[in-house]
Amino acid sequence: MQKFLPSLVSAALAVALTGCLQSEQQNERVVINKNPYPSTYKALPLQTTLIKNATVLTGTGSRLDNADVLMVDGKINQIGTDIVAEGAVEIDANGKWITPGIIDVHSHLGVYPNPSVESHADGNEMTSPNTSEVWAEHSVWPQDPGFEAAREGGITTLQILPGSANLFGGRGVTLRNVPSHTMQGMKFPDAPYGLKMACGENPKRVYGSRKVLPSTRMGNMAGYRMAWADATEYKRAWEKYDADYDAGKNPLAPERDIELDTLKGVLDGDILIHNHCYKAEEMAMMIDLGKEFNYHSGTFHHAVEAYKIADMLAENGNCAAMWPDWWGFKMEAYDMVHENVAIVDAMKNSCAVVHSDSDSTIQRLNQEAGKVMYRANENGFEVTPELAITWITANAAKSLGLADETGSLENGKKADVVIWNQNPFSVYAQAEQVFVDGAKVYDRFDEKYQAKSDFLLGQR
Amino acid sequence: MKHFKLFKSSLIALALASSTASYAESIAITNATVHTVTEQGVLENATVVFENGKVTAINPETINADTIIDAEGKILTPGLIGAMNQLGLVEVSAVSRSRDASDKKADITFDASLAFNPRSTVVLHSRKGGITSNVVSPRGGEDMFKGQTFVADLSGEFDSIRVNNNSVLIDLGAKSEGSRALSLQNLQFKLEDAVKAQENKGTKNKKEAKEPSREEQVINALLAGDKALVAHADRATDLLALLKIKQQFGLDLVFVGAADAVLIADKIAQAKVTVVMNALDNLPTSFDTLHSSLKNAAKLTNAGVKVALSVSGDTHKLYELRFHAGNAIANGLSADDALAAVTANVAQAFNLDSGTIAVGKTADLVLWSADPFELSTQVSQMWINGEEYSTISRQDALRDRYTTSSDMPRSYVK
Repeated sequence: MQKFLPSLVSAALAVALTGCLQSEQQNERVVINKNPYPSTYKALPLQTTLIKNATVLTGTGSRLDNADVLMVDGKINQIGTDIVAEGAVEIDANGKWITPGIIDVHSHLGVYPNPSVESHADGNEMTSPNTSEVWAEHSVWPQDPGFEAAREGGITTLQILPGSANLFGGRGVTLRNVPSHTMQGMKFPDAPYGLKMACGENPKRVYGSRKVLPSTRMGNMAGYRMAWADATEYKRAWEKYDADYDAGKNPLAPERDIELDTLKGVLDGDILIHNHCYKAEEMAMMIDLGKEFNYHSGTFHHAVEAYKIADMLAENGNCAAMWPDWWGFKMEAYDMVHENVAIVDAMKNSCAVVHSDSDSTIQRLNQEAGKVMYRANENGFEVTPELAITWITANAAKSLGLADETGSLENGKKADVVIWNQNPFSVYAQAEQVFVDGAKVYDRFDEKYQAKSDFLLGQR
Repeated sequence: MKHFKLFKSSLIALALASSTASYAESIAITNATVHTVTEQGVLENATVVFENGKVTAINPETINADTIIDAEGKILTPGLIGAMNQLGLVEVSAVSRSRDASDKKADITFDASLAFNPRSTVVLHSRKGGITSNVVSPRGGEDMFKGQTFVADLSGEFDSIRVNNNSVLIDLGAKSEGSRALSLQNLQFKLEDAVKAQENKGTKNKKEAKEPSREEQVINALLAGDKALVAHADRATDLLALLKIKQQFGLDLVFVGAADAVLIADKIAQAKVTVVMNALDNLPTSFDTLHSSLKNAAKLTNAGVKVALSVSGDTHKLYELRFHAGNAIANGLSADDALAAVTANVAQAFNLDSGTIAVGKTADLVLWSADPFELSTQVSQMWINGEEYSTISRQDALRDRYTTSSDMPRSYVK
């Protein structure tokens, strides 16, 4: 369906009426709707809430002791001591810790949901090495009980990505972790799309076994380069169309290509790259690939060997989203070190992220970050809780292009907040209350705030 | 690189070359908070003496040992025991030629201990979690019997295997093809047939009596209680069917997985069947596991069921068994029960001579920097068969290579 920007249409009309330009009769301008499945998310019922006397990790690198956090109209209104707010719901958080809502940049909840039955395996369109045309949001089953479990672990925002069998797996979508019976009801309003790319063993194994490109790592690179070359032509064709139209001509619009729309979105800077890539030498090439075709190589996911190129990642402004300790399941995951995240983080201008890629560890990203912190500190690093929390909050928000909206407790930002029963980097830590946009979405001690998926309802 | 401590990488190389100490030395650990995981409970300021691989004394009147180690009040526990994984059978999961845990043709006689590689990097890495021994479980093949378990210590030495063929693995429950009923039926028939064959043996003359096949010998060992039947099943109906079979044939039975165990906890407790479970499994992965919950370890234990915790899934993360126990504590299990679930209860289910600190038991011991289950804690020292082993692994060597300043390419940093 073609849509038209009203302002451009009226501008074209104005040109036609004044008749001061020698122009052809123009057909209606062809404009591609970039948001055809818009978010319908609305914050849950919210109240002005004042959390008192907590240890606050702000996500900006600060720790405040005995501090108060005030949430008004879904935003962080004030952080400090002895805050008074008339009419606010007060929570005494003495002895408890507060962090920004936890963000997972790599999840397959909803697209590889539980129960993991054949009918539900919707996470990877493994039919072609380039499936940039598929959008993960079209596979999301909002009733995945994993969303509830993740919420109990403090997850307020998560990116759902397609799988990694393809060079280009398709678009990822960022969701608010609130219950809804539609995908749109969870969709993070105006969050940029992500494009899943994959390096290494997976694409070459899946397609090599079918005797199609890629069957090697050089085949992988050739596959990316051919696709970006096509996308460059496509972008050029649209730019020429727009320029000709602006010049008063009546050009024929390029043929619409859903696959190339996504790649063009990357070249236009609208869509962010999320690249499954384990190995140092491959990440180094993916950075150059981005430079070759004029886009930013984005966030490297898994990045088991990121520590080998920590300087390069920081220099090029790449985030790396990593596990604390996953290894050995593939050759490309053989060189794990427990301090990977900390080594990447230690560079100036770094962007180290801890991710899950798991319906289990997404429930404990706090512990995942904690494991890194303690192992690193045993080996000469000085990682503090106020730093470690940024790996699962502010840096994750940056990776998703949402740094201005969420990921830290700062005045004016979304009131995405978790109250923990203690230091969140303890194995005994549990999220007690979780807020999304200032609205309580989970309370460990109040069943009223414990959502249950349709699937589990009535089972015995 | 401001925070990096420069390491003497040669020290790590030395540690990776592994301990070759084999002389019998007596060691006394004094001033320890000893969690015996026996009726003795926790002993403060206690002394544990061991020699020739065995604990020889606890709190002796006079301390007589070649080496005395002051634990400075730190916690000493039995070494943790891993279970139901493929340690030493798989180096890299996706590399077919590094995998020996399964074989299409494997049957009830499958003894994977012949393939155990004590030099696997997974062994050294697992020591970081204070794991001193492990019940290794092959994955078998098409047969419902997946083979037999064996027990290896984590010394990394060529004589790591403590016992082989000590229990029989069977996979029951949901199937992607066919019906679960047929597996249960087959198990029942095999046991019945073996009982009949034994009865007939007495009545037939020697000429007619055939020597039982190797498969039948294993079934006979199950019937005699010489080996446990270790059954992977989740749904309550499967667990109940197995309890019935146990009762009929007098089997020594262990459950693995058992997501629905909470529905019939009293029956399992009564039958004295240990449940080996992953404390972190809490999602309804299938219609057989609708009752998975982080609270299950606590619920079962409180109902009188013996629970053993295991890290199911990829063996490379075996080291985090203690964190699983920590999470079980956060969800209602007592700290003492959690420790038993990763030591004594595993030993009991698989008839091992370890898992507790008591005179005569294997000297598998771990001294912890603090609470063994906490993320911030690390292994201070560990002993396997009474000998001290390091927790340094290949991962440490890689870290140091890439965090050491050098003008030369990293390959020269060793």
